[in-house]
Amino acid sequence: MVAAATEIERQGRTAVVRIRGDVAIPTARMLYGTLRALSRRRDVKKVVLDFGNIGRVDSAGIAVIGLMRKSLERAGKKLELDHMSERHTAALELAPPTSKPPPREEHVTYFELLGGRLLETAATVRALGRLVVDTVWQAGSVLGRRRHLPAGSVAHHTLDMGYDAVFIVGLLSFLLGMTIAFQGAVQLERFGAGVFVADMVGVSVVREFAPLMTAIVLTGRTGAAIAAELGAMRVNNEIDALTAMGVSPIRFLIVPRLAALTVVGPALTLMSAFIGIAGGVVVALGIQGTAPTTFWEHVVYRVQLSDWMQCIAKALAFSWILGITGTHLGMRAGHDAGSVGRATTRTVVVSIFLIIVVDSLFATFTAIGRHR
Amino acid sequence: MSEVVLECVEVAVGYDKPVLEHVNLTAKRGEILALLGGSGCGKSTLLRTLCGLLPPLSGEVRLFGEPLYASIREARDQLLRRIGIAFQQDALFSSMSIEENVMLPLRELTKLPLPIMREMARMRLELVGLGALAHRFPAHISGGQRKRAALARASILDPELILCDEPTAGLDPVIAAEIDQTLLQFRDVLGSSIVVVSHELQSIRATADRAVMLAQGRVAATGTIAELEASREASVFQFFHARAE
Repeated sequence: MVAAATEIERQGRTAVVRIRGDVAIPTARMLYGTLRALSRRRDVKKVVLDFGNIGRVDSAGIAVIGLMRKSLERAGKKLELDHMSERHTAALELAPPTSKPPPREEHVTYFELLGGRLLETAATVRALGRLVVDTVWQAGSVLGRRRHLPAGSVAHHTLDMGYDAVFIVGLLSFLLGMTIAFQGAVQLERFGAGVFVADMVGVSVVREFAPLMTAIVLTGRTGAAIAAELGAMRVNNEIDALTAMGVSPIRFLIVPRLAALTVVGPALTLMSAFIGIAGGVVVALGIQGTAPTTFWEHVVYRVQLSDWMQCIAKALAFSWILGITGTHLGMRAGHDAGSVGRATTRTVVVSIFLIIVVDSLFATFTAIGRHR
Repeated sequence: MSEVVLECVEVAVGYDKPVLEHVNLTAKRGEILALLGGSGCGKSTLLRTLCGLLPPLSGEVRLFGEPLYASIREARDQLLRRIGIAFQQDALFSSMSIEENVMLPLRELTKLPLPIMREMARMRLELVGLGALAHRFPAHISGGQRKRAALARASILDPELILCDEPTAGLDPVIAAEIDQTLLQFRDVLGSSIVVVSHELQSIRATADRAVMLAQGRVAATGTIAELEASREASVFQFFHARAE
C-alpha cells in the first residue's frame, strides 16, 4: 500500500492529520512538507497524527515523525500520535532517544595552527632524517655482508623500473634533442653560427635535459609506484607484520628499491643523453646537411668529462630524491585507501619540486666553480 | 506460506571452476537464514552471487521472484535496490565520515530532503551504538565499530533482504551479541529477511531461524539449527560437535 492522501481536519487550535497508505521513503518527503507547514502556523498549537489508516511505517517515516516532534517541541507545540497499532509502536521504537550532539572541536587560534604546522614539519623532517640514517645503516650492513636483501629483489626492481621506462625515456629524449637542434639551428643560423648546433645540443642535453627529463619521467612512473605500493602495504598491515617479525622494513622494502634506482637512474640518464644527441644529429643532417661524424666530433670536443660526471651526479641525486620521497611518504601513509592516493600525489609534487631545487643548486655551484 | 524472497535453483558458483554446485535454497520473508560451513567452503562466493556481483556458472538466482542475472541491467539494479549488503571487510568509504557513509544510499537512491536523511542516519547509527561517532572517519574507529557502521549502511533503506558476510567475525562476545540483537530487530521490526554467512556458532544459535550447511562443494544439509545439531551427516556433525568439544 502506498500513501495516496493526507487529510487535515482543524479542531480549534488542534490539527488532526489523517494519512492513508504507507509512510515510507516514497511518501516521506510529502508528509514532511505537510507537517512542517503545520508546525509553522501560529494558530496551530497541537498536531495529532492519526495512524488509523496508515499501513507500513519505515525508517524514513519514523525520521519524519521524530523530526516533527522535535520541531514542534521547540516551537512550544505538541505532537500526538493516535490510533497506533502494535506494529506502528514497534516501528517507532526503532527511533532512539535524542542523543547529545558530539562535542564540537575546540576553536584553534592562528598561532596554535602555526605552531601545530611547525611541530608537524619538524616531526616530518625528523622522520625523514631517521629514514635516511636507517637506510644508510641497513645498506651498510648489507654491503658489509652482515645482513642480506630478499633474494632477487634488486634485479626484480631494476627490471621493473628500468626496462619499462626505456621506450618512453628514449622517445622523449629523441624528440627533445630534435627540438633543441631545431631551435638552435634557426637562431644560430641568423648569426652565421649554425655549426655550433652540435655544441649546443651536446652541452644542454648532457648537463641539463637528460638528467632532468629522466628524473621527471621516473618520478611519474617509479616514485609514484613506490609510494602507492608501500602505502597499500601499510593499509594491509604488511609493514607492521614485518616489524612484528623482527624484520627491518627498511632493509626488506626500501634498500632494494633505492639500490635499483641507483643503477636505473644513471643508466637511463646516459641513454637519454645519447638518444637526445642522436635526435640533434638527425635534424642537423636534415636541415643543415651536417655529417653525423662532424656533429659527433663537435660534441666530443665540447662536452667534457666534467659534464658527463655532472650528468651522472645529477642522475644519482635525482634518483635518490625521488626514491627517498616515495618511500618516506608511502611508509607514512595512513591506514585508509585515500591516504595512499594522497601519498602518491605528494610524492610526485614534492619530488619534482626538490629535483628542480637541487638542479638549480647544481647550476649555481657549477657556475661559481667555472668563474673561479 | 511465507513469501520466498530469495531462491537458488541448481546454482553452481565459483570463478573459473565451481566451488559449490547444485545449490538449491530459499529464504522466506521475515526469516534469518544462516549459510554455514568451514573456511573456504564457498560461503562468501555464494553470497557474492546472491548480491549480483558474481554471475553463477549455471543455474538461476531469483530475487523476489525475478531472475537476478537474466534481467537487463536496469531491472537488475531495481532488484538490487531492494537488498542491502554488509561486506566482511566493511567496505566503508575512507574519504567519508561514518554519517556520510550511512547516508550514501539515501543520497544516491532517494529524493528525501537532507534533514530526513540526517535523522535516518542518526537513528540507524544510534541503533547500532555509533551515535557519538557519526562524524568520525572509518580509519579512526575500531574494526567492530566499522562492522556496525557497515550494517547501518546496509539497512538504511529498510531493505526487504539484508545479506551479511561474517557480521560478528573477530568481535568480542559483547559486541557480537549486540550485532545479533540488531539483526533480530531488523527482522522483527523492519520485517527484513536476512541471509547471514557465518561460522560463529553462538551467533547462529542466537539469530538464525534456519540454516544451510555447505560442505564439500554442495549443500550438505538444510533445516532449523536444532535439526542440524541433531544431524548425523558427517560434515554437519563435525561442524557443530567437533567445535563444541
